[in-house]
Amino acid sequence: MILTFERSGGFTAIPLRLTLDTEDLDIQESTMLQTQIAAADFFNLPSQATSSGRDYDRFTFKLTVQDTEQNHTIEYGDANIPESLQPLIDQLSTMARSRRR
Amino acid sequence: MASKPHPITCILPPYMLNRIIENGSDAQIGRAHATQQLSTQFREQRVALAVQKPTPPIPMSAAAVSKNRVVYSADNSSGLPGRVVRQEGGAPTNDPAADEAYDGAGATFDLYWDVYQRNSIDGNGLRLDSTVHYQQGYDNAFWNGQQMVYGDGDEDLPPAQRLFNRFTIALDVIGHELTHGVTQHTGNLVYQSQSGALNESFSDVFGSLVKQRALSQSVQTADWIIGEGLFTANVNGVGIRSMKAPGTAYNDPVLGKDPQPAHMQNYVNTTDDNGGVHINSGIPNHAFYLIALELGGSAWEKAGQIWFVTLRDKIRSNSNFQDMANLTFDVAADLFGANSLEQQAVSKGWTAVGLIPTGGGQPPSPPTTNPGCLSSLLGLFRVF
Repeated sequence: MILTFERSGGFTAIPLRLTLDTEDLDIQESTMLQTQIAAADFFNLPSQATSSGRDYDRFTFKLTVQDTEQNHTIEYGDANIPESLQPLIDQLSTMARSRRR
Repeated sequence: MASKPHPITCILPPYMLNRIIENGSDAQIGRAHATQQLSTQFREQRVALAVQKPTPPIPMSAAAVSKNRVVYSADNSSGLPGRVVRQEGGAPTNDPAADEAYDGAGATFDLYWDVYQRNSIDGNGLRLDSTVHYQQGYDNAFWNGQQMVYGDGDEDLPPAQRLFNRFTIALDVIGHELTHGVTQHTGNLVYQSQSGALNESFSDVFGSLVKQRALSQSVQTADWIIGEGLFTANVNGVGIRSMKAPGTAYNDPVLGKDPQPAHMQNYVNTTDDNGGVHINSGIPNHAFYLIALELGGSAWEKAGQIWFVTLRDKIRSNSNFQDMANLTFDVAADLFGANSLEQQAVSKGWTAVGLIPTGGGQPPSPPTTNPGCLSSLLGLFRVF
């Protein structure tokens, strides 16, 4: 399973990007991500949910998940992330930040 | 019979008065000095009137206007507003983020009230709510339409991996976020492309002015950096943006290079970041810096007043950069006089970033279309 994650916007507007293949991860990280993808019902999420216009300096997240059978991309504003998706976004954000340096 | 305008109702352009002072007779020089004084009085009255309107329905004494701040902690969750940690008049908490949010909201309120006579975000004393410790590893601050929210940066990572400190550390960030609220209650600029970049630029401008005023900095001594202190020592950068030299705030092997342009010829067309609202804001930011530099002194006074009146009375939700140049040009004439040094500075600043202001009915050249008034004044000088 290949994940392509990108965070844009925010006060700094410095993008945060991460691409990973779950096969390259240790079993614990790989299992965690796959569990979070399933819990979010990721492949059935609407492709877009952006901010209402009253949010300033917030992030926008774009995530593509590709496995052998399906490929889905979502683009969500920080304020529009469903509760079920939040753990996956948090996990990918942390992984991306910790791998920057 | 048409009456001849009385000289007292006419104001000569400053360049003409200066010429009389240089070359005129003693009597003419005396009259010119008197006219200069009168002109200054009128200008001050115009500025006072401009910053006072709109008049509140009930007269508000200074004593009746007071800050009302509440600081919450999200305790590293996403819940807003969170738990109250400090209220107006309360003692410091010894939590740096909470106390910085409290003090920063106060300094921002003070700029808007003391200098521009605006009573809080909505002009009507809206309570200033701030939440600190939002989420974990949240390297951001934002305004959600109702309140300010601050993250702690990379506090969850090992020190060697941390790039961002807590976002309350920079006073101008607090002024920036609160100004998004002011914009929401005034021009309400659409947060996309050029209108969005103007929204961002207003926040950077007044954020910087909050900091400059709090530190008693002049145009010359201010650093004009937005977000100084946000980066840890692991980053090669002085801050997030530079109004003085857009594109130079950071250049780091991990974060890349500051992408802000300083001139329209380098305008960035992108779909990211709501059409580059934090990127192309470098252009109006730099125009403001150049205008403030030309005017000298304290940037929140003349340049800040021009920007504030434009935001409060003139800007529209879909205004673009050219509109902003035109409107500030007109406001400078309203506040300081047509072809005043202030209006000339506005023209010069915008022209330097690639936007030539064309004011509505306010030509940039010296006014020559009122010979009756002019000849009347000159006639008065000839008497002596």
